[in-house]
Amino acid sequence: MSEPAEAAPARADCVADSAGGLTFHIADWARPAPGGHDDWSGALVLVRRGGRDGPDGEVRLPLGPTADGGLQAALPSTVALPEGRWDVHVAYRDAEPWRLAPGLNDLRSLVDRRPGPSTSPLSVRIPYATKHGNLSLRSWRRAPHAEAGEIRLEDDTMAVRGRLHRVAYPSEWLADAVVEARCRGGEAPVRTAPLEVEGPDFSFTLSYAELARTWGGGADVWDLWLRPADRTMAPARLARILDDVADKKEIFTYPPRAVAGGRGEALARPYYTRDNDLAVRIEALV
Amino acid sequence: MHISFLIHNAYGIGGTIRTTYNLARSLGEQHDVEIVSVFRHRDQPIFDPGPRVRLSHLVDLRKSSPSYDGGDPDHGRPAEVFPVTEGRYKQYSALTDRRIADHLRSLEADIVVGTRPGLNVHIAREARRGPVRVGQEHLTLSTHSNGLKRALRAVYPRLDAVTTVTEADARTYRGQMRLPGVRVEAVPNSVPAPGLDPADGTGKWVVAAGRLAPVKRYDLLIHAFAKVSEARPDWRLRIYGGGVQHAKLRTLIDKLGLYNNVFLMGPANPLDPEWAKGSIAAVTSSLESFGMTIVEAMRCGLPVVSTDCPHGPAEIIDNGVDGRLVPTGDTDAIAAALLDLINNDELRQQMGQAALKDSARFDPSRVAGRYETLFSELIGRGGLRGSLHRARGSLIGGAFAAKDSLRKVRVA
Repeated sequence: MSEPAEAAPARADCVADSAGGLTFHIADWARPAPGGHDDWSGALVLVRRGGRDGPDGEVRLPLGPTADGGLQAALPSTVALPEGRWDVHVAYRDAEPWRLAPGLNDLRSLVDRRPGPSTSPLSVRIPYATKHGNLSLRSWRRAPHAEAGEIRLEDDTMAVRGRLHRVAYPSEWLADAVVEARCRGGEAPVRTAPLEVEGPDFSFTLSYAELARTWGGGADVWDLWLRPADRTMAPARLARILDDVADKKEIFTYPPRAVAGGRGEALARPYYTRDNDLAVRIEALV
Repeated sequence: MHISFLIHNAYGIGGTIRTTYNLARSLGEQHDVEIVSVFRHRDQPIFDPGPRVRLSHLVDLRKSSPSYDGGDPDHGRPAEVFPVTEGRYKQYSALTDRRIADHLRSLEADIVVGTRPGLNVHIAREARRGPVRVGQEHLTLSTHSNGLKRALRAVYPRLDAVTTVTEADARTYRGQMRLPGVRVEAVPNSVPAPGLDPADGTGKWVVAAGRLAPVKRYDLLIHAFAKVSEARPDWRLRIYGGGVQHAKLRTLIDKLGLYNNVFLMGPANPLDPEWAKGSIAAVTSSLESFGMTIVEAMRCGLPVVSTDCPHGPAEIIDNGVDGRLVPTGDTDAIAAALLDLINNDELRQQMGQAALKDSARFDPSRVAGRYETLFSELIGRGGLRGSLHRARGSLIGGAFAAKDSLRKVRVA
């Protein structure tokens, strides 16, 4: 009943640097053809989920040999990787790329990440294991970016603190800016609230009652943006992306509060979307 | 030496499986080692046994497999050799009885090692004369039911050795079981060195990891962390793992207003990269048969604050040197010990370094070395003395078995 071990999928270890770059290292690699490094033409291939055939659907990174006999590829923060989910493959010559499995993801430099001042887009790439056990990356690329931090809940308000990144003069950008809540897909007007600003840091308080006023009994989702006073400038989406957690939705959760709405009592709670953007949901009591 | 492990399911995920793989892999560098899994339910094992360890199975439960055994009529009939009082009894059957017996009667090995009580019973009763018989206890004697203890007492005298994972449990075995001639020895579980650099102790994170089960008492940890947050709101807690307590713990975090400080991270595998993000580890269990996560965290350079619960923590942590032991169930003491380490960067760094150094004794090579010595000594005492002891053991075992069946009749 004994049988030879089947070929296990190749695993890639992944190390993140604090600037947003990633290095992939494949240790258990059986080289397809012996004969020096000259005939080597392997690549790490990132394929964008749902957009493979688009213009930015594939990124190929050359795989090079390392001193310890493995292979390595680098994805520097300067390589523009459009936002989305990217499946990580390895390819050799013209062969069809095959998926890599995750090894050790050393993401310690992403925890509590504090990017330096710059006006180029903020690159965030978080490697993670999919539910099928494959290696994928979650990527964001934003300028400006409004990072959401602590959220304090009172009976009928939520107070959010955050920091603005990737604009030339954050305090100028934030002066006279407001937080804007936009009801998704609805006709409801935009709600705004003022910001308190200190350098690049901001805070604001949103009233649940205000958001629930036009609630019609279903589920309203309000997306949150910072809008500068100058309407010609791009607004900044509130999101939480400066750490190592690829999917915030199930981990950063907040208790719901009952609030009087247009159609009776509703529940209000902030949450992170599948893209780690901050939103507020107003829905019926269960 | 030819060493043969017998395990419930080498294709699953769990502490016993992981530690058996670690041990087999290390022993495999010098010896001929195989792992025989009673069940196989998937093609690939979760953990990697390494290239030198042979893996095989006795009962194939993969529906897609040509050798699928689920349709065998014996698969539906209850087991008679595997003890009814064992936690896994329902998964065993007349088919496992037959396959395990065939395997053990034909096994050509110097050492056969059982990895759970029910399989140790099979080995004690059915292994052919020749191989040295070792029964491993990965839990503890005191957590077994009285029925299972009686079943083990009846046949364990026919083993050559019983290993426990703590000295405390070895003492319990020696005190409560009559095992004349059976060597009872504590050998800790092994934990390999992590494949990444240790934590540098600068991150403001406390990390805990384990099943979200009542015995782990994460409710205590969350209450303790409420006190920590009052004093040091800049420090936060991550709890890795999934389990039945998730909703309860979530409610507790929300009730205490700790949703900015305490995070339920969900399961993570491997855990080492998660330990490496923290600076202190916390264990607040009411019971730890061994304390695998304590060793894992220490191997990543974290000092561990742990309750001094039975059985493992006090045998792993050198209190005040490489971690802290606090009274079981004492929220204030947990919070105080965490704050001691949070508020003293130098002490924390120092204990982290000590944890790294002290936990090297759990390296698979060192633990395998202890098993190697034990196995060699058991083989050495074999021959006449070994078989005499075994004959005596089987007589005693028979007597106990008779007593057990009488008892059963009386109860009925």
